[in-house]
Amino acid sequence: MLGAALCGAAEPSYRLLGQSAPDFALRATSGSNFRLSEHRGEVMLVAFWGSRCGQCGGQLAALSRMVDTYHSAGLAAFAVNVDDNQVAAAEFAMVHPVTFPVLLDPAKSIARQYQVDNLPMLLLVDRAGVIRYVHRSYRSGSDAQYLDQIKVLLDE
Amino acid sequence: MKRSFQFAITLLALLAMSGFAWSAQAQAPAAEPATTAVTEPPAADAAAPAPAAPDTRGLDEEIQSIKKDVVDLNRDLFVLEEELLFPANTQVAVFLSMDVGEFFALDTVELRVDDKQVAKYLYTPREAEALLKGGVQRLYLGNLRVGNHELVALFTGKGPNGQDYSRGAQLKFEKSVGAKYLELKIADKQRKRQPEFEIKDWE
Repeated sequence: MLGAALCGAAEPSYRLLGQSAPDFALRATSGSNFRLSEHRGEVMLVAFWGSRCGQCGGQLAALSRMVDTYHSAGLAAFAVNVDDNQVAAAEFAMVHPVTFPVLLDPAKSIARQYQVDNLPMLLLVDRAGVIRYVHRSYRSGSDAQYLDQIKVLLDE
Repeated sequence: MKRSFQFAITLLALLAMSGFAWSAQAQAPAAEPATTAVTEPPAADAAAPAPAAPDTRGLDEEIQSIKKDVVDLNRDLFVLEEELLFPANTQVAVFLSMDVGEFFALDTVELRVDDKQVAKYLYTPREAEALLKGGVQRLYLGNLRVGNHELVALFTGKGPNGQDYSRGAQLKFEKSVGAKYLELKIADKQRKRQPEFEIKDWE
């Protein structure tokens, strides 16, 4: 409990928590465009990642498994890449395939809008479009925490 | 918009509080028998007729009416805000419509007014489909001074053979006193088997 309290104290606050997720539209590696607001009514995972980030591959693989499992219950995800180099992003995406759209934000306009200050950064957006949880890292045990929070949001 | 929404939320909270106070008053008499029942013998309490359930239908109707008032108020505030931000004498609105779309799949539209980018919109397949079904999108709403101006629209997407396709359209127009409405129209030119991009001035 003390550890959790200390962790909570160390975690910098996220200003957008509890607020509506800013809408955005981005092009995916597949060439299609995707807009966040078109997924209103679903629980959305928005994962910001970069090809140089060591934890990102593991996190994306875990999220992909979760989306596969809970897709029918209304879970969807976007992986938003913030690399300058889109070739590196595409190569990384090929090595770490996911079942949801990989969006490209080379100008980092969306990352700035979402105040991304660390990679990986995961946002859990509820069915009403409100940012409910934020995770600024990925480590062992994160999957269970993600699942608990996803289930809470899916049950609402 | 945000301000009006906050105002509406505040109003809703106040109305909810007043509704709560009203319901508390309505329930207050029902609490009295409960306190008196302690002093009376149990047999007498059982014989006494059960207190009538409070009629909640009236309360529901009142809540619905308050909700409707809040929605109406929010709408009025939205209109008022738009009138304040974009007064009729300086207002310029640009709309986008598509007709057919056999030779062009829309991806992005960029709008420039007097060589300054004012809007850039990325279309998802669902949005493009809605436009093809007859939807009209308000792409830009802003203010312009009275006088001559130039509007340039750059369209990108997939052309007749599925290749990347980019075209521009330009319109020089005079802004007079009063709102100005312009329409970007994408249509198919069957004879040339090419898309056609047009800017129309709604007088």
